[in-house]
Amino acid sequence: MTFLKNIIGLIFRGLGLALKYIFLTISSPVWLPFWLIAYLVEHIAFVRNALIATDLYLPFKNMERTPLRFALTVFAIFIAFLIYGALTAFDNAMNAGVDLAADDRLVTVNKINFTQTLPIAYAQKVTAIEGVDSLVHMNWFGGYYKDPREQVITFAVDQTKLLEVYGDDMLLDETHHKNWLRNQQGLLVGELVAKKYGWKVGDRIPLNSNIFSKMDGASVWDFVIEGVYSGKFKQADTNGVYFHYKYFNEALAFGSNQIGWLGIKTTDPSINEKVIKAIDDMFVNSPFETETVPEKAFNKSFIARMGDIGLIVTSSVSAAFFIILVIVGFSMALAIRERTNEIGVMKTLGFTSRRIFKMVLMESMMLACLGGTVGLAASSFVIKQVTSSPQFPLAGLMLNGEIIMQAIILMVFLGLITGIVPAINALRLNIITALSRR
Amino acid sequence: MTSIFSQILTVMMMNIRSLPQRFWMSFSATLAISVVVAVLLSFLSMSKGFEKTLEGAGSENTAIVTRSGSKSELNSVLSNDIVNIITAAPGIAHNAAGQPIYSPELFVIVDGIRRSSKLKANLPMRGISSVGFELRSNVEIAEGRMFEAGKNEIIVGKAAQREFAGFDVGTEVRFGKTIWTVVGLFSTGGSAFESELWADTRTVQSQFRRGNSFQTVRVLLETPGDVQGMVDLVKQDPRLVLDIQTEAEFFSEQGEALSGLVSIGWALSIIMSLGALAGALNTMYTSVSDREREIATLRAIGFSNISAFFGTLVESIVLSILGGFIGAIASYLFMNGRTTATMGGNFTQVGFSFEMSPELFQDGIYLALIIGLVGGIFPAWRAARLPVILAFRGGV
Repeated sequence: MTFLKNIIGLIFRGLGLALKYIFLTISSPVWLPFWLIAYLVEHIAFVRNALIATDLYLPFKNMERTPLRFALTVFAIFIAFLIYGALTAFDNAMNAGVDLAADDRLVTVNKINFTQTLPIAYAQKVTAIEGVDSLVHMNWFGGYYKDPREQVITFAVDQTKLLEVYGDDMLLDETHHKNWLRNQQGLLVGELVAKKYGWKVGDRIPLNSNIFSKMDGASVWDFVIEGVYSGKFKQADTNGVYFHYKYFNEALAFGSNQIGWLGIKTTDPSINEKVIKAIDDMFVNSPFETETVPEKAFNKSFIARMGDIGLIVTSSVSAAFFIILVIVGFSMALAIRERTNEIGVMKTLGFTSRRIFKMVLMESMMLACLGGTVGLAASSFVIKQVTSSPQFPLAGLMLNGEIIMQAIILMVFLGLITGIVPAINALRLNIITALSRR
Repeated sequence: MTSIFSQILTVMMMNIRSLPQRFWMSFSATLAISVVVAVLLSFLSMSKGFEKTLEGAGSENTAIVTRSGSKSELNSVLSNDIVNIITAAPGIAHNAAGQPIYSPELFVIVDGIRRSSKLKANLPMRGISSVGFELRSNVEIAEGRMFEAGKNEIIVGKAAQREFAGFDVGTEVRFGKTIWTVVGLFSTGGSAFESELWADTRTVQSQFRRGNSFQTVRVLLETPGDVQGMVDLVKQDPRLVLDIQTEAEFFSEQGEALSGLVSIGWALSIIMSLGALAGALNTMYTSVSDREREIATLRAIGFSNISAFFGTLVESIVLSILGGFIGAIASYLFMNGRTTATMGGNFTQVGFSFEMSPELFQDGIYLALIIGLVGGIFPAWRAARLPVILAFRGGV
């Protein structure tokens, strides 16, 4: 019996130790920074003195006096900010098209829906409208590369006008641009696509269309890459691929002389309203009525049509924050309650209630900021890892100033909410009750 | 041996009965776990509901013909000639008059205003004939009447009417220059077709300037699931660049559109679980340190450390399963049956409802159980190793 018990005990002990060290090793990126901070505060006189001078030393020592609870609480905060950073950056990147939209650009689509086409003659008619600086007509090609799942965002465009309208956003070598204009089978490829498939200038690329077939029945369209453009801004979407409308239109088996939509550049953003009205009035009561909107509004509505990504992001982040609010709040309350005696002693020694209030609040703030900062740093690291893969299609995925500012506000807010009740309790605590409570 | 079990049982019951003393700490861990489970189940039930809606649309009895590589009804185009050739293929059921039973259909996108966001979204409109009705099971006119051939009349699916504003029976809607009258409301037993507007094929052809072309053809199969005759014909005839699939197969592919959501849901909940795990560990360590003397006393009067170990572990598991149940029930109450719409494979909104199933419920409880197990094992280990001497120390 005792022998069996010993064996079981040994097995459990071994298992426990193994688990402990495995866990410590796996979680080392998480606890190492905190350990480092604690080490610095203890062993570098300058840091310690600075903390003492600002009255933060006691809160700091209080915070880490039960290392395990400290580690767990900070870890929970860390997780919440990791989720916050990653998801908010993702949401931002999805909406980059809205932020980057130019004020002087409009989009004209078929009023029924933007998947319905317009006659090619509309391009000429709209060009004549006063206030239209330049315009380019575009068609959705429904392109894919070899496998129908490998979708390539391909447009057939009026090649001569593309850069007149969108040139401000697209950086392209001048000779490449000229070569592209010259070659009817030329393809202008975005940086992200080129990276994804390893395409270079001069490559011959077959693209298929899941919508259009050629007159000879073939669904493969041959192209030569003549240029690779990059975005002017870091968040710019360079997933697009452009080719000559002429090549498209002449080879089509059906649906020729139709265009998808018009991209328009006005002479000045202030006359947008006038131009919009002039365009839509021109085609009212025609078989193809139009709807013209500013580029920003178009991009926004396009994203909204795709689904409510924002809602999913917000609710997930809120759920994560709710969890840590509860965990951190209760463990803060517990920590202060355990210290009731001690607070009584401090008050007896002459610490003012105000100072104790501040100390408790500072402790919860420190917890929130520590966990939050490391969590944010981790999410930045994760984002870097993810975006470095050439398969990753979102260019603007990063933590920008706005996300970081919001995170800091969240940290302060979290620190306040979790610390305020224990701090008020500590403030109100009567010395007699404090000392008599066990 | 029995004594060990009875010891474990005693300590377990003692721990569970003393839970109210540590109410707030236990409450926080339970709440955290319930939120994690609720988040997971929301994601899973969403993708499940979507999948079910699309799978409900597909039948084994019907084959669908699309242009090769188009992958969706929207992108496919079939000329009248092609339709005539393919519907002569073997394997297609015939009616009493000896004609093959098939339904050539059109599929266009129009703008509609979502009720929830007040924003425009893509709404599918199908040109369909009476044969198309026969090829779909469960089609019923729930309100009003059928559209008449040759007239600008539409009938609206239940989900489309639920998600989009302005499609009540009797109202007029305008797509471009053309005005259509909503004459009826139809249901198809909750499948994806309910997210569509239906109108007469010929009328849609002329109003949307499609000439005599179609987008897809649905045919009734002689033997359910057997499309070999048509596939063989496509192989022989170079004019036919077509994909032939049973409708069930076609829609189950489209139902996978939201499968990414399942991975996102799992990834997110697992990361959140780590946060909840920290809360559970915190709670259990506190529980052990609160009861240090109690545990030591038990040891002193002859209870084994194994009983201390299991007592703590079971406490943690009870808390986490409780949290799991609360989370699952909350998400059932709030999510099950809730309807929404999202972008489906045809670039249009598909209305569907969140669908909670026993399997998903089980997944949620498993996740809670794992959190409870890991969150309990370390504190339990500590409880088992508490020195007996603690029992004899005076004061605190």
